Amino acid sequence: MNGPNRWETLEKIGAYAASELSPEEAREVEQTILADPEALRMAESYLRMLALISVIGEESPEVPDAVIDYALRQAALSAFFRQAESFFSGIGRAYVDAFVYYLGLRLPGAAGQGI
Amino acid sequence: MTVEDQNLAEKAADGDVQAFAQLVRSHSGLVYRVAVRILNAEEAQDASQEVWVRVWRNIRKFRGESAFSTWLYKITVNTCLSVLRKEQAREMREVGDELPYLPVTPSIENDPETAALAAERRGELLRELEHVRADHRAALVLRHMEGLSYAEVAQILEVPEGTAKGWVSRGRASLLVALSRQPGEGPR
Repeated sequence: MNGPNRWETLEKIGAYAASELSPEEAREVEQTILADPEALRMAESYLRMLALISVIGEESPEVPDAVIDYALRQAALSAFFRQAESFFSGIGRAYVDAFVYYLGLRLPGAAGQGI
Repeated sequence: MTVEDQNLAEKAADGDVQAFAQLVRSHSGLVYRVAVRILNAEEAQDASQEVWVRVWRNIRKFRGESAFSTWLYKITVNTCLSVLRKEQAREMREVGDELPYLPVTPSIENDPETAALAAERRGELLRELEHVRADHRAALVLRHMEGLSYAEVAQILEVPEGTAKGWVSRGRASLLVALSRQPGEGPR
């Protein structure tokens, strides 16, 4: 196991330890492991590492309150500004409508037309 | 995806902050957990906050074609990877394609000890994980810590399934090599 082969073997043994190989590939790796003590050590290392990873994966780190508070504050703020924008643009439109009506500029046929 | 998530997402898309709050409370664990593992505890808090801001801004784009959690994973991983991209100057200790052979043979003695639960070893693994290349790390976290299938990992990372498999495999190998180094041994 030298050079690129070594890296390839390392990955192959990793896939074997993770039970991701086809039966045929797995048999091939098993033969390597049986024939090479270094490969055997790698396989054992992988198994321990994967066990450790899996234990870590089952843990649920506590979410800091600041994360939730910040997310909710930002959403509330953004929703408020959306509503405010819609409210003021509504007022603006009404004001323009009223001004147009006042000046008698409304087009014929429009609702509330002409004096 | 659960019907409840779908309903909440639709309401949140219409500006319902209460519905969004329920989504945040139900899924904040997923976001923070993934962020902690791809980044670290310090960066994970900021990244998680950023994730939720992005979710709120983009929730109208969520059409329910995939599970809400898959969509959330995607935003979380992308946010974490963009944090990491900002740190490109940081030295990576990964033994990747550039190095054609393993410098140190992993041995039983130097390995994650039989006592897999030892806090010291767990801490070491998480520290070494930080030195695995970012995309490989994300793939490794999704596959082996979150327990997702390769199809799901590929969907979240937006790469073909074969690429996702390759990234997980390289991530696994890099992490093993990093863990097998003697304490105090410098980066290679």
